[in-house]
Amino acid sequence: MRYEVFRQDKPGAYHTHCGDVHAPDREMALLFAQIQHGRRMQTNSLWVVPKEEIGEVDTDEAAFGGTTDKAYRWATTYNVDASFAEEIEASEREQAAEERKRGSDD
Amino acid sequence: MDLATVESRAEPRAFSPKHDLPEEYRTGATRMLQFHANSEIMGAYLEKPFIRQSPSLDRKLAFSAKVQDEIGHGQLLYRAAEALGVKTREQMLDELANGEGKFLNCFHYEMTDWWETPMIAFFVDGAAMKRQATLKNSSWEPYAHAMDKICFEEGFHIKHGEDVLRELATGSKREQKLLQEAFEEWWPRILQFFGPTDDQSTHHDFMAKVGLKTASNDELRQAFLNSYVPKAEKYGLEIPDEPRIHYDEDAGGYVLEEDDLDWEEFFAITKNDYEPGLNQIDTRAAAQEAVEWVRTSLDASDSPAAAAAGGD
Repeated sequence: MRYEVFRQDKPGAYHTHCGDVHAPDREMALLFAQIQHGRRMQTNSLWVVPKEEIGEVDTDEAAFGGTTDKAYRWATTYNVDASFAEEIEASEREQAAEERKRGSDD
Repeated sequence: MDLATVESRAEPRAFSPKHDLPEEYRTGATRMLQFHANSEIMGAYLEKPFIRQSPSLDRKLAFSAKVQDEIGHGQLLYRAAEALGVKTREQMLDELANGEGKFLNCFHYEMTDWWETPMIAFFVDGAAMKRQATLKNSSWEPYAHAMDKICFEEGFHIKHGEDVLRELATGSKREQKLLQEAFEEWWPRILQFFGPTDDQSTHHDFMAKVGLKTASNDELRQAFLNSYVPKAEKYGLEIPDEPRIHYDEDAGGYVLEEDDLDWEEFFAITKNDYEPGLNQIDTRAAAQEAVEWVRTSLDASDSPAAAAAGGD
């Protein structure tokens, strides 16, 4: 059976997908995941999930947004100065970075 | 894990559902998260009417997106709370409906007119954002993860709120006058957002020790005033004479005469005993009841949704 593996590099960080393993059961999957995915990269924790337990929907089936103009829901749309508060500036920066990524997909 | 161990390990994002945490931590975190989640929901209900009432299509779209975001924030936070194993999401939603669930003081007041909207969408959300940015360092990892997403989205909310404020402040004389009146009505409530000073805050010490809070109410209020008083002044809003507030060079910040604020009303609100505010709670309770059939049909084992999830 195939298991997908998610690695967390340090406590408190997100578990992100890093690969998969073949294993007959969960216990072996945990062991193989350690050997194959937890040795080189800094690892604090691994999640292993049976492949068939993962649901997936992709851009062929769903409109994830970005196809219609929703400028009204982006901080960058509003022409007011966010520099008065560090946390608003940070949020705007994150949104701008996300917008650039979406733009480059076109 | 005992309490002393929790305190010694209380770093940002240190504890997750896999840790065996003492009851004091779990109940303290649940209280805080439930309050926060409830506030997201109640804030959304306050702004919901402006999906219809906003004066232009752009504003309607923005308010509709914002209300959608806030309800989503509530859901995120209920899950982060539920992961503590103290209360279920259903329990917390029921408590909010029956008047046991506590939430932010500002959301106990009615908001009826367009020119009031920046009071919530700029000032109150701005105050909330001051606190939320610090909660990215919460020791409860699911809380910090929820904050990553919430803070990402809030930049739009607050900049949109400021955009409405700017539009009204540079609008007609009538708009400017109505804006000033709304500001005078809401300003004392906004000042009370961070509660009374720290020495009266019963839970703070414990919450700080276990890393659930990383900034005191006083620090947050000060940071808020430093950012937002100049903004109010920039848009020509006059800070009311009372409650008295002045900038103190020596103290390096604003000094607020706390006794000028109505704490009797505030504490009635914190207990959900403030009569005019009960309507806010009841309105949401009625909405929860009205869509009960949706939840029931989703949960029913023979529903199409349940069958799809069950993969029979």
